[in-house]
Amino acid sequence: MKILAVDDDPIILEILLQFAEVIGGHSITTALSGAEALELIEKSTGTPFDCFLFDIQMPLMDGIELTRTVRRIKRHADTPILMLTAMSDKRYVDDAFSAGATDYLTKPFEISELKARLTLVEGLVHSRKARTGKIFATQSRATASQVGEVSGNVQLHEPVPIYDVDNVIDYIAMENYVRQLSRSSMFGSTTFAFTIRNVEEHHTMSAFEFTSLISDVAEIISDTLAGHQFLMSYAGGGTFVCVTESGWRPAMPALMDAVNLALSRTELYNNSGEQLYVRVSAGEAIRLIWKSADSVMDAVAAAYTSAEEASARHERAKNDFWLVEPRANF
Amino acid sequence: MSEELPGLERIRVKFLDMLEDRQASIAQHALRAWESDDKASRNNNLLSAQNILHQIAGTAGSLGFGPLGEAARACEHQIIDHIEAAVAPRHSLVDVMLSMDHFVSISRTLLNEKSRRRAS
Repeated sequence: MKILAVDDDPIILEILLQFAEVIGGHSITTALSGAEALELIEKSTGTPFDCFLFDIQMPLMDGIELTRTVRRIKRHADTPILMLTAMSDKRYVDDAFSAGATDYLTKPFEISELKARLTLVEGLVHSRKARTGKIFATQSRATASQVGEVSGNVQLHEPVPIYDVDNVIDYIAMENYVRQLSRSSMFGSTTFAFTIRNVEEHHTMSAFEFTSLISDVAEIISDTLAGHQFLMSYAGGGTFVCVTESGWRPAMPALMDAVNLALSRTELYNNSGEQLYVRVSAGEAIRLIWKSADSVMDAVAAAYTSAEEASARHERAKNDFWLVEPRANF
Repeated sequence: MSEELPGLERIRVKFLDMLEDRQASIAQHALRAWESDDKASRNNNLLSAQNILHQIAGTAGSLGFGPLGEAARACEHQIIDHIEAAVAPRHSLVDVMLSMDHFVSISRTLLNEKSRRRAS
């Protein structure tokens, strides 16, 4: 991979260069500041960087601001960003994920850990290249045939990327974030999810229309949750998972009503100009307190399943209503 | 660092060379903070020291200087706590100074060892 490492400490950069030389397969370019990094990114038009390693605490432009800026560069909207951070930076880690970081590595780091993380990132880079290819291929076909085309290319279960929505992060980043929540952070954390009802029907649209719909719904949920401290991610299957760290325990029925009210007020259309009827179901809010680090992701998965079940129940209830024979009251 | 990189010795030497200046800067900022009557100036000096300590804490452990890194980290936390606490910080300025003094003395021990090794 072609990696850009940014840290104001030359020693860290030397360690990273040495690391790259020993394990091979990666070329590392280094920068001592955010400004220098942006200059290098701008110059690398031929072969763009595959991965970024950013320190958080840097003078003038910190790693969070740098992440935000890099995410605004179109070709790096998806490029994995690993934050290199000391433990005392934990309070910045939430901001870093919110700004678009993919993962974080605690300094001082073990070489084996860095190697393992970069292997994961490499897998992510390859899968993203394949997925981006699919979306763009479908998009161009949809444009050619003027939409409405059914796309099997973007799978329903795939967590499609969402850009420029406050507090919405990539699903891989959410997994990394949740796995590293400290016990004290878990004390006040809750996870919950929303599932788009009857999402299979919406999935028959073109891949581009479907990803636009997912992005619109994410924005509506994010706006509804505004004012609370949370991170959210689209996990695929029409389901959005959220994690809140502020000690807030949401009342899910009221929250679902608020999201659906906002959806009803927002007119969503497909590319043919037909209005879409989109509503969500909410699952249970699951507290993360007393959970071990390993079981936190299970709790997120349980929140996901709970929202999916709520959506399925809603659809069943709608259909069953017409199956129940009207009975006279005696 | 359980899995050691070849070529790490060269980086260690560079780290110790830099530590010479870094620990002198930390000591200087500590002294200025201690002597300052003005809160803003005191905090600025403490923050400057914290930035240097933060860098040391981030790399010392990876280079086999674990105790130095831990002392830098502890010192950094005390400074942050002292500056950010609105009313009564858990760590008084005296605590912070003692912690910085501890860090500087560990640094000097390491630097003296380095000088002895170079001399022999």
